[in-house]
Amino acid sequence: MSQATHIRNFSIIAHIDHGKSTLADRVLELTHTVADRDMVEQVLDSMDIERERGITIKAQAVRVLYEADDGQTYELNLIDTPGHVDFTYEVSRSLQACEGVLLVVDAAQGVEAQTVANAMMAMNAGLEIIPIINKIDLPAAEPERVRHEIEEGLAIPADEAVLTSGKSGEGVRAALEAVIAKIPAPEGDPDSPLKALIFDSYFDTYRGVVALVRVIDGRVSKGMKIRMMANDTVTDVEEVGVRRPANLPVESLEFGEVGYLITGLKDPALVKVGDTITLARHGATEPLPGYREVKPMVFTGLFPIDGDQYPDLRDALDRLQLNDPALIYEPESSHALGFGFRVGFLGLLHMEVVKERLEREFDLDLLATAPSVEYHVYTTAGGEVIVHSPQDMPEAGLIERVEEPYLRATVLVPPDYVGAVMELAESRRATFKDMQYLSATTVEMHYDIPLSELIMDFFDQLKSRTRGYASLDYTYIGYRVSKLVKLDILLAGKVVDALSFIVHRDKAYQRGRVLTEKLREIIPRQMFEVPIQAAIGGKVLARETVRAKRKDVLAKCYGGDISRKRKLLEKQKKGKKRMKNVGNVEVPQDAFMAILKVDE
Amino acid sequence: MSRRGDIGASGGPLTASLYVHVPFCVLKCAYCDFHSAPLAREPGVADHFAWAVGEGAAHWAALGTLDDVPSIYIGGGTPTTLGPALTSLIDALRRSVRLAPGAEVTVETNPDTTDPALISQLVHSGVNRFSLGVQSFDAGILRTLGRCHSVASAEQSIETLLACGARVSLDLICGVPGQSLESWNDSVDRAVASGVGHVSVYPLTLEEGTALAEAVRSGTLEHPDDDLAAEMMECASARFAAEGLQRYEVASYARAGEESRHNSGYWTGRPYVGIGPSAASMLPAEVFGAAIDCEAWSDPGVAGIGRTLESVPPGTGRVRFVRSADTIAFLRKPVGPPEDVEYLTPAQAAAEDAMLGLRLAEGITDDLAAEAGGTEALRDLRARGLVEHREGRWRVTANGWLLGNEVFQAVWFAGARRGLV
Repeated sequence: MSQATHIRNFSIIAHIDHGKSTLADRVLELTHTVADRDMVEQVLDSMDIERERGITIKAQAVRVLYEADDGQTYELNLIDTPGHVDFTYEVSRSLQACEGVLLVVDAAQGVEAQTVANAMMAMNAGLEIIPIINKIDLPAAEPERVRHEIEEGLAIPADEAVLTSGKSGEGVRAALEAVIAKIPAPEGDPDSPLKALIFDSYFDTYRGVVALVRVIDGRVSKGMKIRMMANDTVTDVEEVGVRRPANLPVESLEFGEVGYLITGLKDPALVKVGDTITLARHGATEPLPGYREVKPMVFTGLFPIDGDQYPDLRDALDRLQLNDPALIYEPESSHALGFGFRVGFLGLLHMEVVKERLEREFDLDLLATAPSVEYHVYTTAGGEVIVHSPQDMPEAGLIERVEEPYLRATVLVPPDYVGAVMELAESRRATFKDMQYLSATTVEMHYDIPLSELIMDFFDQLKSRTRGYASLDYTYIGYRVSKLVKLDILLAGKVVDALSFIVHRDKAYQRGRVLTEKLREIIPRQMFEVPIQAAIGGKVLARETVRAKRKDVLAKCYGGDISRKRKLLEKQKKGKKRMKNVGNVEVPQDAFMAILKVDE
Repeated sequence: MSRRGDIGASGGPLTASLYVHVPFCVLKCAYCDFHSAPLAREPGVADHFAWAVGEGAAHWAALGTLDDVPSIYIGGGTPTTLGPALTSLIDALRRSVRLAPGAEVTVETNPDTTDPALISQLVHSGVNRFSLGVQSFDAGILRTLGRCHSVASAEQSIETLLACGARVSLDLICGVPGQSLESWNDSVDRAVASGVGHVSVYPLTLEEGTALAEAVRSGTLEHPDDDLAAEMMECASARFAAEGLQRYEVASYARAGEESRHNSGYWTGRPYVGIGPSAASMLPAEVFGAAIDCEAWSDPGVAGIGRTLESVPPGTGRVRFVRSADTIAFLRKPVGPPEDVEYLTPAQAAAEDAMLGLRLAEGITDDLAAEAGGTEALRDLRARGLVEHREGRWRVTANGWLLGNEVFQAVWFAGARRGLV
């Protein structure tokens, strides 16, 4: 245990790809926390998917010992935060565990939307912010411009910004010196009852739920009886320890310290991020501020291609949920796709990551339907229906009004692309709020936009229309009334429930037309003609036809060809197996996501 | 033709065809993914190759597989690029092979290598059928296909071949990017008018990695239209029929008596021995078992499967195997183990024969359908209008010709459903 005066708790925050994780790796190297031979790129991103995509999904904490220029050894707790807007709440909880942050800005890219969002969060949490201008080794690096952007755009003094290169390690020591000098040591009351913040948790097969905690007041040690305040769960402390980065048990964690805590609880739902841990008896009366239930924002149907895999899918979701309490799901059945689950996610990235993990780690072949949001439908009879799936939408005649979730979106973009952003926003039902120049090269634009529009390929469109310059951040602002209708897709005259989607009435005709065209391209020619129709209620808005297949024959088949061609037939058959049989029509998986690719 | 060859393997001499693969071409065509290479310029390669084929034939003759050979097919590549050495090759074969009476001996050739003197030598050596790669009578289409001959030289070649008294077959390709129906019909008419007794019609397949597939992928050439190709196949079928060339297989048209005996063997389960780099063979299990035991196959210095073949797995009825595509290895050691071996049970062999037999106009017998476990699948295909059943045989319909893969797949996997495949 160190004296609190020699502890520094800090996070590294950054826009995605600005080099946060690489910088964290250099810190571990510099402090000899990880032996060189164990050094895998980006130690803190432990999942394969995190490493491959260069993103952080789970928060991590690691304690390093740093011998500073003043000759003294400091205990630094580095809390690596998720780097994506889907996980904003998790970031806010991680920040709550710190006294300061390193705000990393790419020396070439400059300030971007998540830089702004993260900086605001750190400011609101009252944290010391140390600007770091990273990637100064890049040929396109412009540290002076970026310094200016930080000062102008974020109102953060940047004359003492540290210049670093995560690649070469240059400036990393200077950054740690800044941490010691500028970030305050934690304050707290050693004699008050225990208050510890859970800023993340994960599931260990042998030990149960492991909570990552920051002790605010008092102390916690092995054998104590504690209480989780949000859900009033009482349990014993089996072990406390610190992460270096492997778990290392210690006697106790004192106020100001960061570490882990094992209770033997097996249900992750009982150990919630943001919750406060206190003593079971004579504990604190008030929890730490800021806790909230995490609510999924985006929903999709996940169906096994092979119906026999349904129990495997359920088991896999159970397993993933252990480490990801934000993941929720309930059984869903579809006429077209059979049995599956309606799964709720924090956002699109969360959805993609979960689907990828299910397929990769659990060897499942999954079909995902187009993502949807949570609609609040008020019926003429005075009831309220929560709709997560287009299938659950009540009949049009029974609906009094529908409300949908809205976001406040922040777009940062060079002035040349303001027009392109406006055009895209217009097409996505977004309402312009305001716009300001952060600097001569960056404009900040604000829009109110329905979440349902944002999850429709909005980010990809934004990137492609601004040649990759635009960056995006958003926060949830509440529900608003919208004129929404359910659009059905019919294949060969039959409604395919899994292809239905909810759309604004003014957009229905156009979306229907584009989607039927898209489906015509995606659905292969079959033995018979397949009409594709888009309809609201019984009224057909658009129609396309997949012509019947006329020719499919391996004409050349002589001695050397026989084995080869037989294998080709087998391959063709396998390809068919990967499609879903909807009625008589073979529908490729892509079709169910086609609505996302409806480029306007 | 409809007798399944390997059934009679236990009694009397084995009746097996012989295929020789000559992996040399003047120039590789834009659509071709066959194993071929420009003939090495070094003197003596052609003669060396002829010698190697002779060695291969002697090996198989010693195993008793070449005592009753109904057909020899020398294909490629372009065998006539060998020049006079091709005559030596045939002479070498004839030293080991005992031809059945009326045996068919075919040589593949291309317009640019159809030299009248060579052709007459070949006929003298016993060749009685030529298969000429014309592909099209439209100069533009020939260019697209990367063919290195002119329309005029194709016509000249046909005359040369017919003049020497041999039977002649032409190949034509439809569904080529940029090919109009008019251009296609003109080629069909000129094929008919040329007086040949056999024509093969292939819709173009874009094989991955070929220059043509690359040109289509990059957008330089338009993707061939499947519906148009289907129409071309139907037009050809009608025109040929009107001129007395009957369709006897998916891609093959012939005047009565001019059907390819050799190719028909592939579709009726007749065993065949393949000699040359990448040549495929199909033999009854017991014959293959005898080959495993021979010395040349167990020599680890020979390019082959990379391990010693132990023995044929129990329950095997038929073996398909392919020699390595390495021409140099073949020239060095003409006799050696295969690179790839596939063992089929008798039930699998039956399913395969049923599948292949349905390529033929004569179709398959009820007995074979039942043996292959495909009767139910065929009934289903009949309900879909792809096959018909009369006089105890299953045959494809006009629509079945075009959608052959549906038929082949259904019949082949019917065996799989019964756990046979």
